[in-house]
Amino acid sequence: METSDDAGVYRLNDQLALIQTLDFFTPIVNDPYDFGRIAAANALSDVYAMGGRPLTAMNIVCFPIRRMDKAILRDILRGGRDKVHEAGAVLVGGHSVDDLELKYGLSVTGVVSPGRVLTNRGARPGDRLLLTKPLGTGILATAVKAGLASPAAAQAAVDCMAELNRAAAEAMADYPVTACTDITGFGLLGHGLELAAGSGVRLRIEAGRVPLLPEVLDYASMGLVPAGSFANRNFCAERLRGSAAIDPLLLDLLADAQTSGGLLIAVPAAAAEALLDRLHRDGVSHAAIIGEVLERGSGMVELG
Amino acid sequence: MADKELDCRGLACPNPVLRTKAALEAGGVERITVLVDNAAARENVTRFLQRFGYRVSAMERDGIFSVLGSLADPEACVLAQPEAAGAAEAQQKILVLLATDRLGRGDDALGAKLVVNFLTTLKELGPELWRLLLVNAGVKLAVAGAEVLGVLQELEQSGVKILVCGTCLNHFQLLEQKRVGETTNMLDIVTSMQLADKVISLT
Repeated sequence: METSDDAGVYRLNDQLALIQTLDFFTPIVNDPYDFGRIAAANALSDVYAMGGRPLTAMNIVCFPIRRMDKAILRDILRGGRDKVHEAGAVLVGGHSVDDLELKYGLSVTGVVSPGRVLTNRGARPGDRLLLTKPLGTGILATAVKAGLASPAAAQAAVDCMAELNRAAAEAMADYPVTACTDITGFGLLGHGLELAAGSGVRLRIEAGRVPLLPEVLDYASMGLVPAGSFANRNFCAERLRGSAAIDPLLLDLLADAQTSGGLLIAVPAAAAEALLDRLHRDGVSHAAIIGEVLERGSGMVELG
Repeated sequence: MADKELDCRGLACPNPVLRTKAALEAGGVERITVLVDNAAARENVTRFLQRFGYRVSAMERDGIFSVLGSLADPEACVLAQPEAAGAAEAQQKILVLLATDRLGRGDDALGAKLVVNFLTTLKELGPELWRLLLVNAGVKLAVAGAEVLGVLQELEQSGVKILVCGTCLNHFQLLEQKRVGETTNMLDIVTSMQLADKVISLT
């Protein structure tokens, strides 16, 4: 039915389609248990972004078995397992190889009703845009690496990245959501532009309404912007409007590469406030309406 | 007080900033030169040094940027707060639109010389110089090998925002060669002109 870089949908019958996704990466935090939780939340997110429900997951492990204490691997796997269970899915196995560099992730299988598959192609003019998690995990991870992040900000980033998009996905199911994508490596701007292009519309994002992790503007002003986020900003520049009128540090945040980011949701204006209330009620406390879908167009993002 | 030099060529962000931070932590660094080989690292190292009280200038040669920081006020030392925003708010904002790589008509060789002279002198406008817009052949001033590249980079370091027309870079097939400023589009150009208090236009 649908494919993208790391997720595929296969229709089994009129009631059921299979979602398969896979994602793994190198550690982004120092604590092995947290890394496991974040990697799992990230891998599960692709299923949630499509409106699906994860059923099973398998571990993917690359581990330098001769150089690193096996206790580290145990903690990573425990973190991953705990998240998979929190998602209501089952960990059914996995595969590991000896590698110079540690990597961990999962392959996740989920289900969705074929008529309710959400993609980044359905947004319609007049829809409102919601974002369910604050931005800034890339910059904060860099600040942690530099030893400049405050413990509170570092913890906020870990909590954000380890949070499942489950509650957001379940809330979406009860509203006439037209399009959805999860915010990961290309940042809000990159994934927003994909959604705009996929739907053949223009988006307007109110930069001041976008939720941010604590202290991230401060870290951006110190030059703690990872290379990927810079690349995103430059890559998106041509298809943005209004970027000259907003704070350059805020622009860096909008382009910041996210790990296990939130969902960007398009929903008709009439349902937007109700969906937002529901998200807040269900513990998705940072969710915010950040903009709207403008007329049919060629995939631009307008900033205000 | 010591001078330091750091070679961060070949390093991706955030490593140049981490190395710079480590070098400053030794203490007493009055001047530091950091060599980097990509624009992201240049911008990050510049921000980092400015944030910690250094006056920064950067030069580019053959794709290598050298970012030079000197302690503006040795007493301020590390962890100085960034300059208070708002101080510049009261001033008028002057925008210079440059739609050519020559100044005036008559003799092109003379015009090319004059534009160099013009841009070198432009800093005399002081902090009221707000933005520089480069469009049409003006974008050729912002690419690798341009005579005024160093001058423009200095302006940018001093806080002047340089906006370079993306359509124009594309037209001249210079997108990859741009070495200073931010790639921009017509709406931003128009908005900038609207926001400016005074527009000086050279076409």
